[in-house]
Amino acid sequence: MNIEKGKEPLPGGRSRWLKVVFSAALVMSFSFYFISISAAQVSRLKRTATSAVGSGSQVQKAAVPASPGKQKVSTTGSQTGQKTKPASAPEKPAAASIKGIPEATLQVLKENRFLEEELKLAKTPQYYFVLNLKERTLELRARGMVLKSWKASELRYTGKPVPLQVTTLTNKTALNPPERKVLNPAEQQAEEARKAAEEKARQEQQKKKENGKKQDSAQSTTATPADTFDVEALEITDMPGSYELNFDDGLRIFVRSKSGFSEKFRQTRETLLWYTWYPVKHFLNRKSELRPQLILYFDNMRDAQGIYWAFIDGLKGIIWFP
Amino acid sequence: MKFWKVLLALVALVYLSSLAIVALSWMHHLKLSAEWKTVWSFELDPKARVKPEAQNAALKKKIQELHPKGVYIMVDSAENRLYLKKDGQTIKEALVSTGSGVILVEPGGKRSWQFDTPKGEFFVKSKIQNPYWVKPDWAFIEENEPIPKKMEDRVEAGVLGDYALGFGQGYFIHGTLYTRLLGRNVTHGCVRVADKDLEEVFKASRIGTRIYIY
Repeated sequence: MNIEKGKEPLPGGRSRWLKVVFSAALVMSFSFYFISISAAQVSRLKRTATSAVGSGSQVQKAAVPASPGKQKVSTTGSQTGQKTKPASAPEKPAAASIKGIPEATLQVLKENRFLEEELKLAKTPQYYFVLNLKERTLELRARGMVLKSWKASELRYTGKPVPLQVTTLTNKTALNPPERKVLNPAEQQAEEARKAAEEKARQEQQKKKENGKKQDSAQSTTATPADTFDVEALEITDMPGSYELNFDDGLRIFVRSKSGFSEKFRQTRETLLWYTWYPVKHFLNRKSELRPQLILYFDNMRDAQGIYWAFIDGLKGIIWFP
Repeated sequence: MKFWKVLLALVALVYLSSLAIVALSWMHHLKLSAEWKTVWSFELDPKARVKPEAQNAALKKKIQELHPKGVYIMVDSAENRLYLKKDGQTIKEALVSTGSGVILVEPGGKRSWQFDTPKGEFFVKSKIQNPYWVKPDWAFIEENEPIPKKMEDRVEAGVLGDYALGFGQGYFIHGTLYTRLLGRNVTHGCVRVADKDLEEVFKASRIGTRIYIY
């Protein structure tokens, strides 16, 4: 037996090696998580302190309506980093000017922006929507008054934040979009005649059968309640419960209803993706423009269907986080 | 043995790298999420001297002034409900029938109609008692009947109920004979209401009363 000196495997050597590797991995993973969580907390704290970039020094002067084009430019600027100043902000560093501003004042300024945008919409005869991300409410409004509102059970958002300005629905997409029924009277009449003939034959057959039976059960089958009619129409129940709303500023809103097994399965899949794949995907594509995305979950399918019904192409609205 | 060690080291390295990527991704994700709450901007006028609170109050007042005053009608075409409102309070709720959304194609495909109830803000333009229906072309095409040349052949009494409120482009809020179909989307675009409910709506509204259909 030719065993080289020093190369003889020691008893328990492999397991010792494994222990070292796994403990190192464990320590490193814990430290990574610890570092990432603390870094996130620090950045969040910093952000809270410097929220509403560039607004601070103007508190005494107040915000005034601005052209949408200008707003877009300044919003895009502030999106790339919290330290970016708006075009018309003074030369002072943003952080210094914001330091003394109470949060309440910043909220007032933000509300001011929202009200200015809403006023623009309220002046038009068309109804519009307001999505409040904090309250998770979606409201349909006209002339500033609420026509209808829905409350989402869950709301998620990611990607580039949407600017606080009017956005327009460009289109809706669904896996099974509702289809309008097309009436062709000539064909329909032929079909009706065929059905009538069938019905007549069926009734005659039934009559023959009934002749031999008692007469008491005759009346119960004749009444048909209105809601069981199969009308040739496009109704709310024909609307999809899961779909996507696409807006002109690149925003995508996914509307989901929790009812039904397939919807629950879809939601579980989306939750897994949302917390695992999406962050990695966004991180890897962080240098490219990330489209803003929102997911709204509704407990009741009819809510989701109602939104599909009311959200017509070209509908304008505002999305904001008070 | 060496191979296994290298393989194990590689696996550990891949594992740690993926952990690092996930951690960094999460930091990035949190940053993105936080931006939704904080990023907003506006143009500022250094000459403006109005306090933001005062400006907000003024804006709210402006929006408030746009609200309809007095009586107005709201129609929810999805749920087929009509609400008669007065200063924001519902004074009457009724089951209605709205547009079926069906497309009618004329034989030969020359013309087509889409039976939708229009959505948006409208005004009561006419108030009619015991209305007559002047049947449009599509009513004959739908029945597969020839389109009459004389006007009197188009007139049909009784089908629109006792009252009708016109809100433009041939659309009406009117009564119906088909009360069993209330709550369903079956009309050609008009809003059908039971005569008893419509009577109250008819009496409360006047020319110019606002109608909101959504």
